[in-house]
Amino acid sequence: MLSTKKKPRRTHAAPLRPTQGSGVVPDHPPNAVELRNVSVTYGTTTALAGLDLVVACGETVALLGPSGSGKSTALKAIAGFEQPSGGRILLDGEDVTGTSPAQRGIGVVVQSYALFPHMRIDANVAYGLKARKLPKAQIAARVKLMLEMVGMEDHAHKLPRQLSGGQQQRVAIARALAIKPRVLLLDEPLSALDASLRAEMLIELQALRVELPEIAMVYVTHDQSEALTLADRIAVMRNARLEEIGTAAQLYDRPASAFTAKFLGGASLLPAVSTTVVSGAGTLASVMVGAHRMRAVAPFALFPGDRAKVAVRPHAWQVLPGSPEISASTVNSLPGRVESVQWRGAGHRLQVDLIGIAERVTVDVPALSPVPTPGDLVVLSADPAHVVLVPAGDTP
Amino acid sequence: MSAAVLDKPAPSPPVRAAAAWRAWLWLAVPLLFVAAFFVYPLVQIGAQSFLDKSGAPVGLENWRYELASSAVQTAIVSTVKIAAISTLGALVLGTFIALALSFVPFRGAGFITRLIETVVSFPSFLIPLAFSILYGRTGVVNSVMESVAPGVPPLNFVNDVPGVVLAEIAFYTPFVVRPLLAVFSQVPRELIDVAGSLGSSPWAIVRTVILPAAVPALAAATGLTFLLTMNEFGIILFTGAKNVMTLPMLIYTRSIVTFDIPSAAVIACLQVALSLCVYCLYRWITKKLSGAHHAAAR
Amino acid sequence: MLLHAKSTRLTVWGFLAVALLLLVGAPLLVTFMAAFAGSWNGVLPSNPTLGHLGGALAADNLSALIVSLQTALFASLLAVFLGTWAALCAASAPASSTVSKVSDAVFHLPAAVPSVVVGLGLLTAFSKPPLLLNGTVSIVILAQTLLVLAFSYSTVSAAARGADPLIPLAAASLGASRLRVLLTIRLPLLLPAIVAATGLALALCMGELGATVMVYPASWRTLPVTIFTLTDRGALFDASANTLVLIAVTVAVLAVIAKVKGRTTLR
Repeated sequence: MLSTKKKPRRTHAAPLRPTQGSGVVPDHPPNAVELRNVSVTYGTTTALAGLDLVVACGETVALLGPSGSGKSTALKAIAGFEQPSGGRILLDGEDVTGTSPAQRGIGVVVQSYALFPHMRIDANVAYGLKARKLPKAQIAARVKLMLEMVGMEDHAHKLPRQLSGGQQQRVAIARALAIKPRVLLLDEPLSALDASLRAEMLIELQALRVELPEIAMVYVTHDQSEALTLADRIAVMRNARLEEIGTAAQLYDRPASAFTAKFLGGASLLPAVSTTVVSGAGTLASVMVGAHRMRAVAPFALFPGDRAKVAVRPHAWQVLPGSPEISASTVNSLPGRVESVQWRGAGHRLQVDLIGIAERVTVDVPALSPVPTPGDLVVLSADPAHVVLVPAGDTP
Repeated sequence: MSAAVLDKPAPSPPVRAAAAWRAWLWLAVPLLFVAAFFVYPLVQIGAQSFLDKSGAPVGLENWRYELASSAVQTAIVSTVKIAAISTLGALVLGTFIALALSFVPFRGAGFITRLIETVVSFPSFLIPLAFSILYGRTGVVNSVMESVAPGVPPLNFVNDVPGVVLAEIAFYTPFVVRPLLAVFSQVPRELIDVAGSLGSSPWAIVRTVILPAAVPALAAATGLTFLLTMNEFGIILFTGAKNVMTLPMLIYTRSIVTFDIPSAAVIACLQVALSLCVYCLYRWITKKLSGAHHAAAR
Repeated sequence: MLLHAKSTRLTVWGFLAVALLLLVGAPLLVTFMAAFAGSWNGVLPSNPTLGHLGGALAADNLSALIVSLQTALFASLLAVFLGTWAALCAASAPASSTVSKVSDAVFHLPAAVPSVVVGLGLLTAFSKPPLLLNGTVSIVILAQTLLVLAFSYSTVSAAARGADPLIPLAAASLGASRLRVLLTIRLPLLLPAIVAATGLALALCMGELGATVMVYPASWRTLPVTIFTLTDRGALFDASANTLVLIAVTVAVLAVIAKVKGRTTLR
């Protein structure tokens, strides 16, 4: 993980568990969080269907998906806010299904921060420690430490409403970490912040991750950049189910479904028919996209005539000026007409209608490159290594 | 308001003065009604308190006599006492019911809520009437007791202070439940969830998270219930308790039963002064608390 | 959400059930059963009869019911009319203005004074010139109007202050006159609150006793007064039957109003 710490805060961080350090990890440490076939239903609607998920100690898993995909429900089930209608939940190998949130000792940070509005910042951070009836001096020391860790020590005597959104977020994190949780759950923690603050808080969360090496984190988000930045593994959720789980690189480079390809990285999907036999495992396959031949990475076996989809991310396309005649013979080149051009600061985003195929693709043109104007004829080409085949059956 | 100010150029002082005059003119119609049929009668009561039965002025004679009478002094004490105990009871019971309906939900909680909202508009004498049938001297409980355990002294609290207090608690509890339900529905669910995950017990969550959010509503409900129980008349009249003599009962007895209007007028003045004090205190506290609360919400 | 252990939840529900049964269930149930009881000397009433209810709907008591309905209707309509008028004035002015403050203070005031005193005041003031109202129907209507005026005012003014101030401004910007904005925009938007206030006022007037018992003329006896007379005489079952009729009529009126309110609520 990138180290982007702004201040050297590690000196303040208390060793949260005696096993901190290295090398003394037992052969099979229990998983921090384990969900076994967990379902949550409200009346007749299923909010979460048979989720299996393992989070190791010190690991960050992002639950990524659109709203209504079940990611927040999964987090609430781990926290104990919702009782599953089926399945088991284990923390550190211990079955906690059916126990109250208070018995689980999990740190939770929610989207709205849920700071207690009538308590000062230090009282908010001390809340969980007071519930544990710790000695006053110990509470004061811990609160100070936590506020220093998130850089809020100067605001200890303010009320939550006197703080900005980002500051409230930091207090919420300090409050959750004050109880030395085994697991930290973050439910869309940045979505209430504006864009620049979100980027800043993302860097701080990264730094925090480095400071707390053995806390397991579950990070719920609908924003792929947050998931890619923070997560060791990403679980893509869809329609109350786990669509796919893997490392960021796995999911990004070799998405196993059209949904993942589209949701993570915004790939354009084009229908394709195989013309060769491939064994899968990442060899290159030849496919026809309309009347055009393309070569693409095939993560699964294909036979001639099999249907699939090619997924190409916006930045993988190269844009060349051209006309429909030139490209037909060239591999991985598709003619198109520029429909719209959006300037996005760091570059331009084009919507290109392909000629001969009734599909529209999204193309990112990097800054300083020549930009076509709407109506221009262009040829799009992509390196076969960046063109991935995904199963056709699944249309997002 | 700010929108109006933003949309139009700031009106010049004469325009604004004219607008204020127009507002007063419009308000004059309902104001005159209240003045003629509420303020003027109150003033007449005040005037009556300085006249004797034949209408001749007697100065402070009525006041001197009534203030010295033990009946009036006892009535003041028992009015405040009954109101205070009833308010406390309604507050405790109402808070419990509102908490249970809001935070320990069950199927049918919505129906119960609607039922409570309906009961608020029922006549208050429903409760003392039912009490008399159940627990009255010749009521159901006593006749059952007599056949089961003859010789046990009969229950006889309905016609006394406990009966009045219980009936007032029963009638005024919904007045506490209603505003609390509204406030509790505003408490974000996450606040309770997070407090739980930090290790708080349910009782601690109620004490440290839920009730602090309800302080203005609790204060308002307390003030209103105290005011209404202090002014309560129907319940006490129906219990027929001869030895529960509150100020409203005394006013009724003096004016309608014994036709001693000057005496009733003095007691009414006392009652109005007391009620207005409580009312002003109530308005002041709710304004102060809700102001602080709005600031907190911002 | 607050309690996670089933046993504590059950305990709380148990207490809740007992509390609600004693507070709401028992009075209603007892009144209901007593209304049909010939006698009641055991745990349950015996000799069920429709006699009390028949009596409650016979000539004398029926006319008391009709008197109650008429009084309540006139009083609540007058109270809602005045309350809405005042609420509109108050809401048009900024919340911090004197108009708004005075109106809040004045129109809430009658609810702070005991109903008996309101009755005594009307009796004292209008038993002599310039205005003689003692012994007339209007003094009963006035008493009830004053007592529900505060509720009508606060219901409508809460809605009027909560309304989006930009909507009437938008109408005015389209060229509508003040009167037109009032009739076509502001009042229709307040209609749900006005209807709700009418329902509440009607129900409260139907059960009003304190002021009515002070001012009613013998020719204009409302149902609560009749019920009190019956109770005072010890005719508890007859009183129950009349109370049942009163509550039934009140609930019926409220149900009709709730239906009307449902139709007026556009959003």
